[in-house]
Amino acid sequence: MTNHWSDLQNTDCALIMGGNPAENHPISFRWLTKAQEKGGKIVSVDPRFTRTSSKADVYAQLRSGTDIAFMGGMIKYAIDNELYHKDYVVNYTNAPFILKEDYKFNDGLFSGYDEATRKYDRTTWAFETNEDGTPKQDKTLKHPRSVFQLMKQHYNRYDVDTVISVTGTPKNDYLKVCETFCATGQVGKSGTIMYAMGTTQHTVGSQNVRAFGMIQLLLGNIGLPGGGINAMRGESNVQGSTDFALLHHLLPGYVGTPTAKPQHATLADYNANETPAAGYWSNKPKFLVSMLKAWYGDNATKANDFAYDYLPKGNKNYSHINLFKAMYEGKIEGTFLFGTNPVVGGPNAGKEKEALSNLKWLVAVDLWETESAAFWQKEAGGNPAEINTEVFLLPAASSYEKDGSVSNSSRWMQYRWKAIEPKGDSLADLEIIHVLVQKLKELYKNENTAAARPFNALSWNFGEGHHPDIDLVCKEINGYDLKTGKLLPTFGALMDDGTTSSGNWIYTGFYPEEGKNRAKNRDNVDTGGGNYLNWAFAWPANRRILYNRASADLNGKPWSKEKAVIWWDAAQAKWVGNDVPDFVPIKAPSDPGGNNPFIMLKDGVGGLFAPLNEGPFPEHYEPFESPASNVFSSQELNPAVEIHEGDFNLKGDASKYPIVATTYRVTEHWQSGSMTRNQEWLSELVGHMFIELSEELAKEKGIKNKDKVIVSTARGEITAYAMVTKRFKPFIIKGEKVHHIGMPWHFGYKGYATGDTANHLTPHIGDANTTIPEYKAFLCNVRRAD
Amino acid sequence: MAAEYVKYVDVTKCDGCRACMVACKNWNDLPAEPQDFLGTMQSHANVSADTWNVLTFVEHENSKGGLDYLFRHSSCYHCSDAACEKVCPENAISYTEFGTVVIDQDTCVGCGYCVQNCPFDVISLKEYKDKNGKEYRKAHKCTMCTDRLEEGLQPACVTTCHTGAMEFGGKDAMIEKAEERVKEIKDRYPNAMVYNPEGVGGTHTIYVLAERPSVYGMPENPKVPTSAVLWKDYAQPIGKMMIGATTMAVVGAFISNKLFNKEGNGTHEDGGESDE
Amino acid sequence: MVEINLNRRQFLKLSGATAATLAVVELGFNEKEAYAKSKELKIARATVTPTICCFCGVGCGILVHTKDNTVVYTEGDPDSPVNEGTLCSKGTTIRQVYTSEKRLTKPLYRAPGSDKWEEKDWEWMYKTIAQRTKETRDKTFVEKENGFTVNKTEAIASLGGAALDNEETYLLAKMMRGLGVVYLEHQARI
Repeated sequence: MTNHWSDLQNTDCALIMGGNPAENHPISFRWLTKAQEKGGKIVSVDPRFTRTSSKADVYAQLRSGTDIAFMGGMIKYAIDNELYHKDYVVNYTNAPFILKEDYKFNDGLFSGYDEATRKYDRTTWAFETNEDGTPKQDKTLKHPRSVFQLMKQHYNRYDVDTVISVTGTPKNDYLKVCETFCATGQVGKSGTIMYAMGTTQHTVGSQNVRAFGMIQLLLGNIGLPGGGINAMRGESNVQGSTDFALLHHLLPGYVGTPTAKPQHATLADYNANETPAAGYWSNKPKFLVSMLKAWYGDNATKANDFAYDYLPKGNKNYSHINLFKAMYEGKIEGTFLFGTNPVVGGPNAGKEKEALSNLKWLVAVDLWETESAAFWQKEAGGNPAEINTEVFLLPAASSYEKDGSVSNSSRWMQYRWKAIEPKGDSLADLEIIHVLVQKLKELYKNENTAAARPFNALSWNFGEGHHPDIDLVCKEINGYDLKTGKLLPTFGALMDDGTTSSGNWIYTGFYPEEGKNRAKNRDNVDTGGGNYLNWAFAWPANRRILYNRASADLNGKPWSKEKAVIWWDAAQAKWVGNDVPDFVPIKAPSDPGGNNPFIMLKDGVGGLFAPLNEGPFPEHYEPFESPASNVFSSQELNPAVEIHEGDFNLKGDASKYPIVATTYRVTEHWQSGSMTRNQEWLSELVGHMFIELSEELAKEKGIKNKDKVIVSTARGEITAYAMVTKRFKPFIIKGEKVHHIGMPWHFGYKGYATGDTANHLTPHIGDANTTIPEYKAFLCNVRRAD
Repeated sequence: MAAEYVKYVDVTKCDGCRACMVACKNWNDLPAEPQDFLGTMQSHANVSADTWNVLTFVEHENSKGGLDYLFRHSSCYHCSDAACEKVCPENAISYTEFGTVVIDQDTCVGCGYCVQNCPFDVISLKEYKDKNGKEYRKAHKCTMCTDRLEEGLQPACVTTCHTGAMEFGGKDAMIEKAEERVKEIKDRYPNAMVYNPEGVGGTHTIYVLAERPSVYGMPENPKVPTSAVLWKDYAQPIGKMMIGATTMAVVGAFISNKLFNKEGNGTHEDGGESDE
Repeated sequence: MVEINLNRRQFLKLSGATAATLAVVELGFNEKEAYAKSKELKIARATVTPTICCFCGVGCGILVHTKDNTVVYTEGDPDSPVNEGTLCSKGTTIRQVYTSEKRLTKPLYRAPGSDKWEEKDWEWMYKTIAQRTKETRDKTFVEKENGFTVNKTEAIASLGGAALDNEETYLLAKMMRGLGVVYLEHQARI
């Protein structure tokens, strides 16, 4: 989230799309309700009328997988009706930048596409530059190759009638959404977009988010209170675990993992190729070297590239789907599962379960006996005698049976104190990981093999014995000045010469001195603007509203007093206000770069034009499985996604599977359900697997409410109860009626509340940038179970 | 006598999260009761001895042709003129200083008259077995967390409610608030109203409703059954005088068939002879 | 050590403008009198520890009331500016994360081809897992590949961690990268 939960009360309009916060982030509605009491509007865009929709001022249905069409039309609406914030667009975005002449877009493809590799050469997606390398600009926005004009041209194809023929949204509802949200382009107003996995779990997930970013830049909503783009995180620490890089392509603090290629052969190569010339990322070598010092300690020296060679270098995409494909093919021997349940939560989960049986060994660390830990049991559908996987199930302590911090969706790092001893013989994951490393270190200590050397070089100084000292862990994350041994006060102090360490640069400063862990801050006095700067610690640098420099104009004055965050105080010659400035604190608006609010980006302005793997502007493509052909071009599927062939990912077509299906969560359960299906009070609230379907579809199929039905896709079949509801309506897509159903993905066969697993139905295909699976739009059929 | 307090429930602010249901179980240590699938998101058809409040879910096509998804925290109304209190032969049901209506579990004999006479169907009997295997029953319902009120704490359901759909406060202030709120929402919900029915002397759970009560499955004009008035004001005192019995349920067993015949509820349960 | 470890009564007195205290003020009760005459609440002598909800990413503050080695109540932390004492149904149920009879309390082992779990002690589990890890790693470790130094194994995967604490995710990433693991993924991807 660029902003934070209580800041939602400052919004004039919350566009909720690809999320259902009343059900999945309920406390957000404490703040949205306050916004509504002050006259703010809530807009809910969802295939299904949800608990969120019930509280909205405007509801519009859209077919799953058509978000870009919907948002593209809104971009056109804002431009055509001149509802955008012109000064903001001209000065704080790349709208005036001039593109090179060979940039082209034709029939769904941008210039530079190679069909054989399904990849783009991005050379033509570049700006014309001045002699000093800065982009050429036309601040009148009239140049035909300006980003603004090309964007306008791109979305001119997204007229209302075409859009709604794709999305299936009633025209009046669509116009009402555009009108209500684009009204926040007015100075003195702000609008927020709140989204979650309904946006990202598509083959075009990243571009869905980009489309949100574009409309927010056009309306001047980034950096303002009640504005921003707010990705609502689904797990208590999925923000932190991403910050700490439990992902194949990242190192802590969003530094990309080095890979086995010439550009990354040495530290110098990596730095030369991965460090932008301008913007805050020009400090990347400091972050990486400081992390290597934290990881390898004295074994990281200038002479050995700070042990850069010891970082593992992969040569392919190792993300979830590919990981399970490798496991399915028997290429992985051993796997650790830390509190995760892919047999319920993974895409095409039946195949993921089969894949586990190809492992030699599996370690599961969990509070519960999950379906994944128990995948070999007869109840899971297999024959235990034929499954040779050795399984180690380690009981983990729960969140309040140990000490530690979590980072919420607003990047607030909050401490949790231990309330009670771990249940039974369970142990904190911190201890389990610590002891496993100790045992491995013991096994390797007398070896000097290629495998032993990198691991022996890894520093591990968190105390003797089984109980690691969590303060030592915290301080290693924060980092030290290695010359003085003192903790670092800010990431501004990091160096690339080996004299500083930091396990994760974005957290540097949370533990600035001995005994002062700012995650433990509990002063809840409002320090202004509802930003509570003394409650917890927000990375980076305790900032609560990202890009807040953009809340002030070219003179450093707030665009409006209603939406002030920080402003330039000429007398003090610094930025002051209600938040930590997301800017150099003493850089005046008149200084060079003083009006470039997006400091992380090379050009210092927001990217209306911004290259991703499938292009620089979001373009509508149909989902992997779709009931309709693409009206915008002859490219049906995102041209840059990786397609897995064969029985690992069977594809169904509309003739056999004409109904669009989507998955979602309910308030009362959480993720794969292993936490909540094992709690009786939640299991009684939602105790059964169900699907939701419209009255019209139920009638066509002869299904009555509460009947048992079978849902089938090319991947599998499940049985569930039918919940016939007015909250799903058939869609009219290009003049044809298309039915849409939905279902929760929480269920499995363990726990108090049991039921079939929705993910037996979902496909193994992911987004072109993130490889996040397309759980949210696939084709199925439904029949009575009789 | 302390001032009268009411639980204010503005259903138009409820987002259906059901924290109130769990908070009640958590505070009162009530067990889960697994239910059959009801065909909607609603978990329980009605309140029960172990589930003192239920969030109801109604899909309603409104007068403007739009769809409303209506949620309501439903529980004991804590009537000012409570039928249950009138009919209890053991005087196990009483009003507290806060205006809440509570069942004294030590005195309750499980006769079930309160269950039969409640105009809102919010009281339930639970069966127990004593150490000798003998069955007995007790009546249960929401206590409005009177134990918390006594400590200066609000009811658990109110404390946990994140949208401000529930508040607890002085009766007059809450009624005023409800009336103001109805004015605010009339545009969106033309049928909006305050629900604080006179037929039971007003209640200590008052609602801001978006629609007519019947849309929520609530009685439009609930009344204290005449039979309950008769019992309280005539039969019970006479009975006590005649036999000086502490076990009024025995007397009740003789006369209940004639006296208590709740509207719309043809059957009625065993008069309850157990006196543990 | 817990910085804030107050019993309910102290909590009520000290936590300023909290919802709970407001109740006392608004209701006009004499708090001491109320305590003196009423029967004891189940949380009256419980230890109160602040935590953050383990479910979604909102990060609501929760108070855990513990007494006699169990959790007797959980409720929203009125001091948290995120949720101001309120919770949803999941957050309210967090008590059962501890009290649920389904919690694992012993390390369990399943041998190849077996149809049942066996209880094992921690030391055996640690030792055996470390051995399996080393065997697989040593057998599959690649130091150099196509002229690049790669120091990796593609035969070990690690999944999960979105429910772990920051400090744990840091150690997990460091451990796995230190072992040369490239198949490192978690719930942010799915």
